Amino acid sequence: MPSENPFQDPLRFERRMPACAIVIFGASGDLTKRKLMPALYRLAYDRRLAAGFAVIGVSRTPLGDDGFRAKMREAVRGFSEDTKFDEGVWNAFAQGLFYVAGDAGDAALYGRLGQKLAEIEQTRQTAGNALFYLSLQPSQYAAAALGLGGAGLGKGTGWRRLVVEKPFGHDLASARELSGQIHQVFDESEVYRIDHYLGKETVQNILAFRFGNGIFEPLWNRRYVNHVQITAAESIGVEGRGAYYQEAGALADMIQNHLLQVMATIAMEPTASFRAASVRDERSKLLRSIRPMTPDEIRVNAVAGQYGPARVGGESLAGFRQEPGVDPSSRTDTYASATFFVENWRWAGVPFYMRTGKRLPKRVTEISIEFNQAPLLLFHGGAESAPNLLILRIQPEEGISLKFLSKRPGAGVELRPVSMDFNYGSSFGERSPSAYETLLLDAIAGDATLYTRQDMVEASWAVVEPIRNVWRDSAADFPNYAAGSWGPAAAGEMLARRGHVWRTP
Amino acid sequence: MAATVSPDRILRELAELWVATGQEHAEAGSGVLRACAMTLIVLAEESEDMASLGETIAALMPEFPARTILIRLGGTGAPALAERVYSQCWMPFGQRRQICCERIEITAADASLADLPSVLAPLVAADLPVLLWWRSARLLGTPEYGKLAALADKTIVDSCGLPDAKAALALLAGMAQGEVVLGDLSWTLLTRWREMLSGVFESRECQVRLPEISGVAVSFAGERPPVFAWYMGAWVANALADAGVRAEAAWLPRPELSGRALRVELTGGDFRVSLERQDDRLTIHAGQISHCTSLSQPTDYILMREELGIVRRDPVFERTLASAARLAAASPA
Repeated sequence: MPSENPFQDPLRFERRMPACAIVIFGASGDLTKRKLMPALYRLAYDRRLAAGFAVIGVSRTPLGDDGFRAKMREAVRGFSEDTKFDEGVWNAFAQGLFYVAGDAGDAALYGRLGQKLAEIEQTRQTAGNALFYLSLQPSQYAAAALGLGGAGLGKGTGWRRLVVEKPFGHDLASARELSGQIHQVFDESEVYRIDHYLGKETVQNILAFRFGNGIFEPLWNRRYVNHVQITAAESIGVEGRGAYYQEAGALADMIQNHLLQVMATIAMEPTASFRAASVRDERSKLLRSIRPMTPDEIRVNAVAGQYGPARVGGESLAGFRQEPGVDPSSRTDTYASATFFVENWRWAGVPFYMRTGKRLPKRVTEISIEFNQAPLLLFHGGAESAPNLLILRIQPEEGISLKFLSKRPGAGVELRPVSMDFNYGSSFGERSPSAYETLLLDAIAGDATLYTRQDMVEASWAVVEPIRNVWRDSAADFPNYAAGSWGPAAAGEMLARRGHVWRTP
Repeated sequence: MAATVSPDRILRELAELWVATGQEHAEAGSGVLRACAMTLIVLAEESEDMASLGETIAALMPEFPARTILIRLGGTGAPALAERVYSQCWMPFGQRRQICCERIEITAADASLADLPSVLAPLVAADLPVLLWWRSARLLGTPEYGKLAALADKTIVDSCGLPDAKAALALLAGMAQGEVVLGDLSWTLLTRWREMLSGVFESRECQVRLPEISGVAVSFAGERPPVFAWYMGAWVANALADAGVRAEAAWLPRPELSGRALRVELTGGDFRVSLERQDDRLTIHAGQISHCTSLSQPTDYILMREELGIVRRDPVFERTLASAARLAAASPA
């Protein structure tokens, strides 16, 4: 028997994908309808999935295979934003959709699931490969993992992988406890903790930008970088998710996972290779190098906020406490900002400012790296004090801008800032895959580079938990910023103490 | 119209164009961004549909921003050499700033073809790859072709434009033996087909049945196999040979097929793998599994997108080309 596929042509073909079954727990949920199934359909449409690909939806809703197919068809039609719905492609894709009804806490479910997997292995030739995707309430993660283990589904004739959505615990202890339960069934190398931010093209492009170019890395240190600002702003409020959101808050919902991962990507050391283990080792090292703050430091280096009502553009916007499902005296942070320091030779003394919030003036996520000024000011005029900025935009327009000074044409020497822009979408007009398409393909291919490892989760909680504790124990004077503003005044004061100001994106 | 073309003048006009474009956008309160990742030289006959070609080039620019030099071959009636310079801009969705690429158009009579290399050499953008899209079947393989190809890192042709597939394969195989990196859009249009066939053999169940395959049938429209049918058969035969499988390849005319339609079938015992396009879909049957995926009719834009992304030798193509030329030459038809 040939040991390899003789038809492969790596120069022209997309990455090869093995046949497998994806088991989605929580198949009736919003994530499945809005993100997972449209992403899988798009992958099928783009010929990225193997012919024997199968999906088994698992949920409490009583449904058969055909009922599930009909529901998913509506989901794909409704939520595939930029993919044509093709009846023929759908019919072929739908042949690979199956359903098993049951509760993740019910041991009997896993027996039925095992039977279905065995049938599919024969009929769809999945070679026993299975990816279990937990799109469940976090409280059910452990039950699902242990249920799979109890039925012997954690191991099989092919590979087995478990994809877990955030949050990975609600504090350090619960993150460790969850991890311990999952590890009873799955090895850490088989666990894929999804952070969809890391699936975004620009976040991946940060690695290409830093390590594919020789000119930036020499500047990427405390000698040249004055400070770094990471902003993830949302213009919307909690949009009906008030009940969930008030349990999480901006710090846990955004900074603990997404933004610290972005910071790790920005600040990590160069890797020896682009293998998943190398990249994740460096990210993890960086996260562990972030200096945990004492309560006194937290009080000056971290600011919580909650939006209040305001009128924006003639529209009255409710405050967080007025949102449906939210406790009218809620102390949840809808805004969080913090100053972090990395204790290593590269970054010692360089502040990393981070802010995220709801109901800010616009939806924007970007990293701004401000460089030190020229050592000697030769020219006179206001613009000369404008620092060099490197801006890595993640959304809405993915791209990179470098701001520098240039002489204004004409007599005299007057400087003005100019911007050199690279726009990801316009320079490479190809449609960027959605984060879920990228991450699902990576999981099927066994590439964990963009997934979060347990030690990274723990390192993030070790940074965030002390802040959370101080905020929990302090009296919060909420609301402290108006909807549509850039957050509480204290966040600006936090930067002003070091002579810095927030950039207005 | 001028009878000669000065590269210096063209470069000066380009510089002036950028100043004017910048001023125009500055007055409008927006901005302009100049983008260039390669030089794309397109050589086309004046008789071609220039509007359609212009649309194809324009569509390629957002992904492959280039200094495009379009050479319009005017035959004997055109002025010896003439040129014009302009920019092509587009506004990315949701942005105020336009992205612009520069376009140079040169009209050349047959008699002045020998002068083209000296005109083009100073016009290519420095330090960036040069790609030559040779659309004229008439001049392929001529000495003028060789001189222009020497300027480029890669030449892209479309052998479908050549009247005789056997002769085309012999010509291309000869060209590929030189230093020129060659791409053929007739090969490019097979990529998605080949990928799907390859995908079938990613499955362990199908891979173990590879040794059973004894026949490969490539069906095509028309009386004689077009170049891409030769390519497909040669590629499958080479891949099977790499796996130690000897299979007979056959090329079969099928009256019910039309245009660039193709049907590929691998058979052996009770194992059968087939690929066939119906409308905009490609249907694959492999043993008991069937699969369907979208496969729109390939346009020049789609094919060129793939070729512009590969600026290096393609060993699979070069090997397939050599095999296809050999098989075609040995075929009695």
